[in-house]
Amino acid sequence: MPVRNQPGWYKDAIIYQIHVRTFFDANNDGIGDFQGLTQKLDYVQQLGVDTIWLMPFFPSPLRDDGYDISDYTSVHSRYGALEDFKTFLATAHDRGVRVIIEMVLNHTSDQHPWFLESRSSRDNPKRDWYVWSDTDARYRGARIIFLDTEMSNWAWDPISKAYYWHRFFSHQPDLNYDNPAVREEMWNVMKFWLDLGVDGFRLDAVPYLIEREETNCENLPETHAIVRDLRKRVDEQYPGTMLLAEANQWPADLCQYFGEGDEFHMAFHFPLMPRMFMGLRLEDRKPITEILQQTPEIPPSCQWSLFLRNHDELTLEMVTDIERDYMYDIYAQDKSMRLNLGIRRRLAPLLDNDRRRIEIMNGMLMSLPGTPIIYYGDEIGMGDNIYLGDRNGVRTPMQWSGGWNGGFSAADPESLYSPPILNPVYGYQAVNVLSQNRTHHSLLSWMKRLISVRRSTPVFGSGSIEFLHPANHRVLAYVRQLGKETVLVVNNLSSAAQAVELDLGRYRGNILIEMFGKNVFPRISDVPYLLTMGPYQFYWFRLRRI
Amino acid sequence: MREIIVTELIQGLQEMAREFAHYLPRVIVMLIVVFIGWVIAYLLKVIMRSILRLPRFSKLSDNAGATELLKQAALPSSSELLSRVVFWVAWVGFILLGVSALGIVGFEEYTSRFFLFLPRLFVGIVILFFGFLAAGFFSRAALLAAVNADIRSSRLVSHTVRIIISIFTISMVFEVLGVAEGTLLIAFGTAFGALMLALAIAFGIGGKDLAKEFLERRLGKGKPKEREDELFPL
Amino acid sequence: MPEETLLSDDFLRQLINVGEVDILIGLPTHNNAGTIQQVTHAIQAGILKCFPRDRAVIINADGGSRDGTPQMVTGVSIDDVWSASKVYALRTLHAVSTEYGSSPEPGRALRTILAAADLLQAKVCVIISADEATIEPDWLQKLVKPVYRDNFDLALPIYQRQRFEGLLMRNVLYPMVRSIYGCRVREPFASDFAISSRLATDFLNQDLWNQDWVRLGPEISLTTAAITGSYRICQAFLGVRAHTDPSATDLILALRRTVGALFASLDANFPMWSKISSSQPVPLIDGTCAITPEAININRERLRDMFANGVSELDPVFQYILSPQTLADLHRIAALDLNEFRYPPELWVRTVFEFAASFHQSVINRDHIIQALGPLFRGRALSFLEEISDATEEQIEMNVERLCGEFERLKPYFLKVWNEKR
Repeated sequence: MPVRNQPGWYKDAIIYQIHVRTFFDANNDGIGDFQGLTQKLDYVQQLGVDTIWLMPFFPSPLRDDGYDISDYTSVHSRYGALEDFKTFLATAHDRGVRVIIEMVLNHTSDQHPWFLESRSSRDNPKRDWYVWSDTDARYRGARIIFLDTEMSNWAWDPISKAYYWHRFFSHQPDLNYDNPAVREEMWNVMKFWLDLGVDGFRLDAVPYLIEREETNCENLPETHAIVRDLRKRVDEQYPGTMLLAEANQWPADLCQYFGEGDEFHMAFHFPLMPRMFMGLRLEDRKPITEILQQTPEIPPSCQWSLFLRNHDELTLEMVTDIERDYMYDIYAQDKSMRLNLGIRRRLAPLLDNDRRRIEIMNGMLMSLPGTPIIYYGDEIGMGDNIYLGDRNGVRTPMQWSGGWNGGFSAADPESLYSPPILNPVYGYQAVNVLSQNRTHHSLLSWMKRLISVRRSTPVFGSGSIEFLHPANHRVLAYVRQLGKETVLVVNNLSSAAQAVELDLGRYRGNILIEMFGKNVFPRISDVPYLLTMGPYQFYWFRLRRI
Repeated sequence: MREIIVTELIQGLQEMAREFAHYLPRVIVMLIVVFIGWVIAYLLKVIMRSILRLPRFSKLSDNAGATELLKQAALPSSSELLSRVVFWVAWVGFILLGVSALGIVGFEEYTSRFFLFLPRLFVGIVILFFGFLAAGFFSRAALLAAVNADIRSSRLVSHTVRIIISIFTISMVFEVLGVAEGTLLIAFGTAFGALMLALAIAFGIGGKDLAKEFLERRLGKGKPKEREDELFPL
Repeated sequence: MPEETLLSDDFLRQLINVGEVDILIGLPTHNNAGTIQQVTHAIQAGILKCFPRDRAVIINADGGSRDGTPQMVTGVSIDDVWSASKVYALRTLHAVSTEYGSSPEPGRALRTILAAADLLQAKVCVIISADEATIEPDWLQKLVKPVYRDNFDLALPIYQRQRFEGLLMRNVLYPMVRSIYGCRVREPFASDFAISSRLATDFLNQDLWNQDWVRLGPEISLTTAAITGSYRICQAFLGVRAHTDPSATDLILALRRTVGALFASLDANFPMWSKISSSQPVPLIDGTCAITPEAININRERLRDMFANGVSELDPVFQYILSPQTLADLHRIAALDLNEFRYPPELWVRTVFEFAASFHQSVINRDHIIQALGPLFRGRALSFLEEISDATEEQIEMNVERLCGEFERLKPYFLKVWNEKR
């Protein structure tokens, strides 16, 4: 059972992102459910992760895969009942696994009772729960986020004969956070789940809570005030609860969501992620080190959240035009892979199913400063299906075995919520948990070892980072330190073997112990430390002075 | 009386015959050595002639100015001359060897002196040849440099260089041969000094305008020249 | 491997850190502090603008500069070490410098750069002159693109010239390369050019780097190697070229680097060029040749006097080199007044060919032969400038074309005197 109010637990966590619908179908209706998820908690525990992030499971018309919520305090009937969720939560806690859930603060489904009331008449008490306007000319400074599908941030409602504000899909009207009643009700929602025992929330679409004229309606001071208020309540009433911000912004704007340690505990480092892919393909560490050098210091109690892929497209909003063009040309030559200034593909297909590249990317994920998040299925190298609409191609059923429906469900294949991946390269007969569990050298086995080594020291989660700048720009090297513990990480981003000389004079006298095999490497002396590395190889060295 | 004379005569003749019989083998040896020497010297001359017939040597000789010099002196070409020198040096050497076989007292010293002289002679010839070659090369280089630098008295410069190098060469040859070293040193010094003095006077009188122009240019005085475009060959 | 003795340990270490590249920019330098920053910034801008995704490196081969030139070159590198004056670039750009010797030697500089290009597997190697005060960023693209993208092996420049510039190019090098090698390259001696990895490796591996003429003038040797090796050659119009190097007016140095190297190339390539009877055009990428029509202000009298003086003083030398007829013709025109002075194209061609033949036969020291051409070239330059003083651009071009025609017409004569004993 994890300690409930342990401060800073999230700094050493390793998070596994799951969508209930995609994971395991226990009642054979073709859709994953909480009973199924509960049955698979052993797998999650054996993987070595200690936190699950659940994507939205609330009642919803499912026009945005559950991010259009029509009831905040229940469980969608397709996934089970609230009791099933409680059982799942208790079982997870018994295995020492924490659970954080989604909390979509910014908007609801247009089928939510609040909106149905709000739109019913201008005099309705809940009218002011959403942002209405007689014209679509307000807030011109705000950009459109879903460029591929939306033409405007305003949508005309024929029932109330007015426009309503929506930063995402038109069926997702924005809540009006200038209304104290809204803020209070959302806190009640959060309380509901905290009372059940969840360990934290991923707060979706945080930057867009407040709108003001002559601004871009993002990251406004009022938004931060709302977050601070939430944080204060959480700390007072549910200490140890973690709040994770989803804010796709530049580092300087992102850092504001930490406040002075009085806003979010964690935030996704969106700008870093595409640059990891860029650096790997350019075979140049420059994009990675530069974005981290530009990232300001964050309060000691806060933590970045790092990820390679997730349920959304690989966002290219926080890159320059040159960088975006490069990423498109390299990673999404087929234009159908592109969506909303991003690329909707999974990790393995993006990396051409190259085992070495997959490993080094996961190695960086686990060793750069931040809490890593693994998207379900990436630990076995699942593929994607770009022919499914929107981002559904990366949300296909988990592949458990080579049998019926990939072991996901005993239902008829035609009744599955989504077809599984079938091609010979990524299909469930080639890529599945069962076969990889039986192979010592499978990706899954390797990921377990990686996670195990990561968890063997707190230095990765809580330590400082100092970049080395060897003259060989293909090598990304940095030192992580926490107290007396020092770890040297060296990554060869090149597809060819490389030689690199590292200036480790500060650590003269230390011997290097490679952390996976625990073999000893030569002692550091005054001369530059020469390493030769194979293609895409990486080393984690613990420094010891004996 | 007659018997005594006849007896003495017979004894004298016998003595002569004995002496003759004693020296005859040595004379025969000498003649044989001289003959063999002639054959070898002739062969050397033929070999030398064919080696020196290569175009490179005659070109070198032309460049050294030796061809011209020999023509003016009504001497054969440099390759023929060298071949003949080789012939005579080789044959004289064998003749001396042959004569030394006679065992004449005091002659060995002259023979050894001759053979000791040979290397110096060879070095001297080499120095002479390459000295004239250098004189020709550097005088032409000086001529070309002076012409391209638009110096008026370029021929004078060229000849001066040739003369200086030639004098150096000749004095070195004489020194190597060990001929009148002291006299040569003084003569060389005198000649060289006189040459320098002559050049100084010539420059002082004839080149004063040039010097004036040079100084004016360096010190920035004098008539400002109209700016002209320079040629950029490339 | 030839580069073993060319790469110092320190340089090799730097190259290891650079790794494989797509584009290598070579910068031979010697005391170019006055122009080098402009040049390197133009190169950097050219890379960032035209080749932002490609792996590039600047290699500076320095011949013992004492004015801080190498430091200025390496200062233009772009890496991830944070600095306030950051230029945005997708990739790291290395700028690496090495001192190949304590005095400048063009052959060794080029060889060092080619060795680095070979080691780094550069797809294209572009050489830029360090004294190009008028260089533009798009010069890089104009030179690189034909080789990098369009499969040419050698991209040579064409500059916009003033009337009194490039006289050696127009009166000897271009027409001679055209007539001898059958290839109409306007600037066979180029200080800015791009070569493919194929040509660079082949040229590097040729056994000619110890020859004096190649050490002095590797550029001509490269051009002739490309022509004789049937490599694909093109020309790219770059723009105005300003001369800042004081040695640019040194005629004898220019003759050695160009005419000497060209004459030296004829020996080994005789079997090939002796069979060529006509010339072929070379593709021109972007633009045309241009000559600016400004007036000329040359000291004609001095030129004429240097010519006449040269003919007179060097007569003993010319007797080795020229035929009696040609020498007599030269004496005849040397006696002409300035107003009547003309050095006819036909006589000039004979002069050049006889010099080339004498060079081949080494009638005298080869360097002396080259130097002896100096006064005669001045006479020809004077005559040429008189012919084009009031001419339009088209007329100048026709004049050059006529001279080229003369060179081509008299090639049989050249073949005749090639082995004729002097």
